[in-house]
Formats: sequence, C-alpha cells, structure tokens
Amino acid sequence: MFFHIVLERNMQLHPRHFGRNLREHIISKLMKDVEGTCSGRHGFVVAITSVENIGKGLIRDGTGFVTFPVKYQCVVFRPFKGEILEAVVSMVNKMGFFAEAGPVQIFVSNHLIPDDMEFQSGDMPNYTTSDGSVKIQKDSEVRLKIIGTRVDATEIDKNISQSRPKWDPAGSHPSRFFCIGTIKDDFLGVINDPTTI
Amino acid sequence: MEKGGGGKGGGVGGGGKTSLKSIPASLGGKDDNSAKSKRGRKVQFNTEGLSEGKFTFSSKSDGKFETTYGKGGLTKGGKGDKVANGAKVSVVKEALPLELRVEQELPKNAKCLMDCEAAHILEGIQEQMALLSADPTIKIPVSFDKGLLYAKTHSHFTNPQAVKGLFQSLSEHGVTDGEICVIANICPETVEEAYAIVPSLKAKRSRLNDLLKEVLIQLAKFKST
Repeated sequence: MFFHIVLERNMQLHPRHFGRNLREHIISKLMKDVEGTCSGRHGFVVAITSVENIGKGLIRDGTGFVTFPVKYQCVVFRPFKGEILEAVVSMVNKMGFFAEAGPVQIFVSNHLIPDDMEFQSGDMPNYTTSDGSVKIQKDSEVRLKIIGTRVDATEIDKNISQSRPKWDPAGSHPSRFFCIGTIKDDFLGVINDPTTI
Repeated sequence: MEKGGGGKGGGVGGGGKTSLKSIPASLGGKDDNSAKSKRGRKVQFNTEGLSEGKFTFSSKSDGKFETTYGKGGLTKGGKGDKVANGAKVSVVKEALPLELRVEQELPKNAKCLMDCEAAHILEGIQEQMALLSADPTIKIPVSFDKGLLYAKTHSHFTNPQAVKGLFQSLSEHGVTDGEICVIANICPETVEEAYAIVPSLKAKRSRLNDLLKEVLIQLAKFKST
C-alpha cells in the first residue's frame, strides 16, 4: 500500500556547497540519499514530494561539515501482513512462485497454492489445475494475501547517513522487503493470464 | 506483564523467544520452507496467544501447562500436509488484528494513499524528474519506476477525488483509511468479496452491508468510465 508521510533526516553537507544554492544542494542530496531506500518501519521511499522545512545548520566539531535537520514529505510503499495485493509473477518453480508488486518481492510456496493446482515443468514452468482452466506462469497476474514480511538485515539509520555515499552508487537497495504470500483463500488467485486460455 | 510471567514461567519467556527466532530461520527458504513458515507462523501466533494468556497461566501458576502448550504448538505444526486447513484458519484469524495494525504500525503523520492517488502524485513527479534528469548526478531510482508502474497498472480510477468522496460515507461508519485503500485498490465486485478481502469489516457487517453494497455499485461505475 502507498503512503504519504512526513519524515525527518539530518543532512550533512560539505562547506563547499554553502552559498546561494545551499537549499538546492541540500534537496538534491536528500533525493540522492533517500529515494529508493527502504526501511522496515516505513517501507520503500518511492519519491520525495516536497521539502517542508530545513532547520538551522549545526557545525560538527572538528570537521567543518554542517548538519541540517530536514523535514520532507514523501510517498512510500510498504506491504502489510493481511493486505491483499495484485502482483505479477516473475518466476515459477517446484517450490512455488515469486511475484512482484511494485518494488516488493513476494514468494508464494506450493503449500499455499490451492491443492488442485499441480506443478508442470518445461520451458514455461507453471501451476495448472487438472482441467487446465487456470494456469499460473511467468507474467500472470495474481491476487494474493501477504502473510509475512521481512526486511533484509541492513536497516538504514538516520544517524549513519554519513557513511552512505560510499556504497550504493548505482542505486542498489541496501535493504529489501521480502514477503510470503498465499493464494489459498477465497477470492484469491489468477486475475488474468498472458496467454489468454 | 513480562515480570509477571518471569516470576513463575521463565520458561515461557524463553519459549517465546526461541519460537520467534525460528521464524526468520524458517523464512530463509529451503525446499519445504513453506511448511516451516507455516509452522513459524503458527508458532508466532501461539506466542501472541501466550502473551495474552500469560496472566491466566501465571495466576494458575501452572508451569507445566505452559511448556506443554509451547511444545504442542510446535508438534501440531510439524504434522505435514493436513496443516493446510489449520494454517488457513490461523491466517484468517491473524488478518483481523493485522488489518487494523496498518494504522498503528505507521507514525501518525502517515496517510494511506489509494493506488490511483499514488499514481496521480507519482506521475506529477515524473514530469519534474524529466527536468531533473538533465543533471546526470541525479538518478531516478529503480523503485520509483517500479512503484509508478505498479500504481499505474493497478489504479482503476482516473479521478481520485471522486473516489475519495465516495468512501466518505464508509469512513463515517468507522472504516479506517487502510481498509478503504485496500477496497479501492482491489475494487471488489460483490459485498462478499469485499468482506473476504478486508475481514475486519465483518465485525461491522450489520451496519455496513447496505452502505457497502451502494459504494461498490458506485465504484463499478467509476471503473467503467
């Protein structure tokens, strides 16, 4: 589910950026630092919508860097346990299938796929009912319920923001949401099929 | 609560912890990980039960009962395929408090967005992004594109404001923003489907039934246009 939320962050800025364009520098650094990141509490920060307030800077002892408290609004995406989502299947194997809903990955185990659906191997591995009327394969759209969520270990902390620029140059996510889902319930399952059987 | 439990049942606290630990391990994923995860889920659920039940257990001061309870939960989960139904039930049970927690898990200054609202906002930002992308140092993160794509493909409506107004009547009857967003995102066709998707509404069924029916009919009209 998407959320609109107000967050705060202490931005550290090198003195060379001070001047007329200070505000622009802070905002562009904020965007670079925050967008695309993920935390267990808030989920994926998809986009910053506005900067509410930039507080007074504080010089860090001994360095000359200045920290600015920045309050900003952003759109976040976070999955919840019990939430129903529509996701696109990205991979199918005998253990179950993986699906993606926006930036979130969801695994649906074969125990949580209805019993009448059987795994069929081949070029296009899929789960099919015995009469062949329903098929789950890559790029199928499924409606599923999230029953478990997990964020991979490295959760971002506001206070370690100084160490961030060293990693994540290519925008790879330091932490990712991973969910377990089920389609074994009423009104869950395939919505449409790419092959249109 | 912890103190009360700690006095008589240090075992309870310990049991709770270990069972909780088993959850991430089981999510790690091997062949039969779903069975494990089910087990993990069950166990977690049991511990929730335990924490509630601790008072009664400790008041009875029945240490044995606590330990058997914990073990029982595990072994039950271990018995293979027949668990499926049991797991289903526990999932449904779980969904009740979980749906409600949408509001509690996020800070108060968070506002739920329907997919169509999110798509609206993100599209606006995308236009700005095009301007910004002249600056090579700013990269549009992958999750933005994915988020936007997701919001776009799943937004059934073009006019978020009208949809919001439609749900006003529901929120007056105590339906939370989170629940409304799930309904708007999924866009169920029947009242039964809506209850299946948002089980927490079942509690208010008698009051909501007619209203919900009306809202869903209106919603279908928005969807088609």
